[in-house]
Amino acid sequence: MQITCKDRERIFLDGSAEEWAGLEFHAASCAACAEEVRAWKTLSAAAEELRDYQESPALWPRIAAALVQHAKSSVIRTSWLERLSFWRSVPMVWQTAMAGALVLLMAITAGYLYLQPGPGKGDPNSPLLKDRTLAEVERTERDYMQAIDKLASQAKPQLETPTSPLMASYNEKLIMLDSAIDELRLQAGQNPSNAHLRYQLLAMYQEKKVTLQDVLETKR
Amino acid sequence: MGSVGVTLPWELRISTVAREGISRVEPSERGSHANPAAGNPEDMALAAACQAGDLHAYERLYRLQGGRMKNFARNLLGTKSDAEDAVQETFLKVQRSIASFRGHASFVTWTFRILVNTCHDLRRSRMRRKEIVPEEREERAMPAEPRAPGGHPSLKLALERAIAQLTQHQRDVFLLYEVEGFRHAEIAEMLEISETASKNTLFQAKKNLRQVLEAPRSSHAGGA
Repeated sequence: MQITCKDRERIFLDGSAEEWAGLEFHAASCAACAEEVRAWKTLSAAAEELRDYQESPALWPRIAAALVQHAKSSVIRTSWLERLSFWRSVPMVWQTAMAGALVLLMAITAGYLYLQPGPGKGDPNSPLLKDRTLAEVERTERDYMQAIDKLASQAKPQLETPTSPLMASYNEKLIMLDSAIDELRLQAGQNPSNAHLRYQLLAMYQEKKVTLQDVLETKR
Repeated sequence: MGSVGVTLPWELRISTVAREGISRVEPSERGSHANPAAGNPEDMALAAACQAGDLHAYERLYRLQGGRMKNFARNLLGTKSDAEDAVQETFLKVQRSIASFRGHASFVTWTFRILVNTCHDLRRSRMRRKEIVPEEREERAMPAEPRAPGGHPSLKLALERAIAQLTQHQRDVFLLYEVEGFRHAEIAEMLEISETASKNTLFQAKKNLRQVLEAPRSSHAGGA
């Protein structure tokens, strides 16, 4: 093999064993190439100075302890991953498509939930009341009734001994309202979620309140 | 850990003459396209055992490659303690991501790729935290490091300083090829570059090292 000085760098870069032999043969009669080859080889030899494979007795026990600890801490995570391991056999195109579909589904669900009215925004005209709303209605009714009972206790003396025909008619009206209220409460007790009954009951309470206010006004 | 590995590729590649420190004939890797260790039954068996979570398999990996791993990390990071941290972190990363190893590359090559990345991450984070300034690192850490028996202290120190002046890529390739004895095909897999790029990088690295190492001697000779 005919090797010249021009081939030197190429052989340094990626020369075959045969080319190296040719270069060394050429270097025997070329001082410049001999120096270059010597320097090149010296560098490789010098690199061996950086080899230090001295044992570190404490290193493996340290690594082993870390591996064991990590393995323990990731048992739950691993079992999770194992369940998803079938994904690895699914082609990448399908993985991407399914991931996209999942994201789309999540976006639609999030949008739907966002647009859905919350529990507080329920339709007041809905004929059926939910448990939470019903409890709220019943509590308000109780408070309202207590307030009206206070009014009734104030108007009681006038109503028990009516001094005028007007007062007597108020008394009769209140007796009828109480009777209607009792009946509606009975029906509401049997069908507590019926909003229509609740509205009727409320109307009765309001009427009773107005009547009692009139009684008290008349007294003054 | 004296001689590392049972039948390591670099042991076959490096001639006894070169290992005695006289000279090393540049190897021809033409035609060695595939990584010789990829598909190697022993390599695959070790990977499979590690995948099964066998601690003994990890220990075997350490016995086979730990010395080289630590040496490479020490040459890159500068101190023994950093190197040991890097090796430990590499083993943990191997354990964490072993499920993703599919045997397309050699298990050893795959492990070293993790090591190289781990070393770079550690180096970057230490630089960021200003714990170690490169110039200081050389001055402070290197004299304290235990030297391989029979090594030439001034040559080693000069080479370490010269290597520190290389680019990260050149440093990686030089250390992996010349010091750890990997083939260009293996280095290409580790660094995710082409084999030709690995050869070119090594060539440039050696040219740069020659310039750095021979400059004072040439000037001295010129002055005499």
